[in-house]
Amino acid sequence: MDGKVIVVTSGKGGVGKTTISASIGAAMAMQGKRVAIVDMDIGLRNLDVVMGLENRIVFNIIDIIKGNCKIKQAAIKDRRIDNLYLIPASQSDDKNAIKPENMVWLTNQLRKEFDITLLDCPAGIEQGFKNSIAAADEALVVCTPEVSAVRDADRIIGLLYAQSITPKLIVNRIVPEMVKNGDMLSHEDVVEVLAIDLIGLIEMDDQVVVATNTGTPLVLKEASKAGMALQRIAMRLNGHPDLPIENPMDKKSFWKKLGSKFSRKN
Amino acid sequence: MNFNTLLKKLMNKGDSKDIAKQRLKFALLTDKLEIKTDTLGNLQKDLVEVISRYFEIDKESIKIDIQRSEKSSALIFNTPILAAHRQQGIPVA
Repeated sequence: MDGKVIVVTSGKGGVGKTTISASIGAAMAMQGKRVAIVDMDIGLRNLDVVMGLENRIVFNIIDIIKGNCKIKQAAIKDRRIDNLYLIPASQSDDKNAIKPENMVWLTNQLRKEFDITLLDCPAGIEQGFKNSIAAADEALVVCTPEVSAVRDADRIIGLLYAQSITPKLIVNRIVPEMVKNGDMLSHEDVVEVLAIDLIGLIEMDDQVVVATNTGTPLVLKEASKAGMALQRIAMRLNGHPDLPIENPMDKKSFWKKLGSKFSRKN
Repeated sequence: MNFNTLLKKLMNKGDSKDIAKQRLKFALLTDKLEIKTDTLGNLQKDLVEVISRYFEIDKESIKIDIQRSEKSSALIFNTPILAAHRQQGIPVA
């Protein structure tokens, strides 16, 4: 088995990288893939709490790299979703404890065990970012419809191109009402400025906060618009690249119905 | 059309998202033109080296700068020539 490594990155912090990593990972696992999600934010780990697995951490990524444990010992299995694993970050080490070559080694090990390895990249363009992109085959750039987030995304896209990675764009936290009133950049505006391919549009959704409060995977919530959008992004990554991208501006129920159909099946 | 939109139309104010887009485009453009602090210094050193093969120049009064306007950016290099070297053609490495 030779799995794929996908980095989720954004440049700017707080645009939803961790939630998106956790949700896409969960959705792909529900669609039958073996998935590992790696928290790359050494010293400020959060993926564990978003996934609701914080109480089960024994070893972390630094332990694997230093040879203190095997990958299987550090990877935490999600008990709600089959084939979903978390490799947590270390909370006590420094970002510089990992080098790009360590990540290349680690992901090569993970490729043997998992169909998909998702790397939840920290904000910024420093060591954690460099480590994350050194090992990635593909990249998802997350951006909200704000000037600051789009500007940072542009910088990140340039750095990814320099690594010969052509990223795909996720526009997160779209508020259709504000877009309609001309008070928020539309996803068309964002795509025009960044000039890269879109892979998904996610509407602002209160359910994200609720899911994070309880550590429940967002994609298990059928009522969540964001969860459904993330399931469709996972499908696009998972062999259905032509699945149409739903525009949050259209209030049709067709996709909602289709989305819930898929989640029931799994 | 809701109340806010109506109000905005009545007050003849543009959409804030258009301002956002315009500012963004301009910011990205200037970001791409931004150079590292020592780039100009290094460039000046290299230019002086090349020009010195052909001309005797006053190294003290050289000026190098980037001039930006809204639409374009230009590299301005200004150096007084003291004399031309009679024997040109020092082989270019």
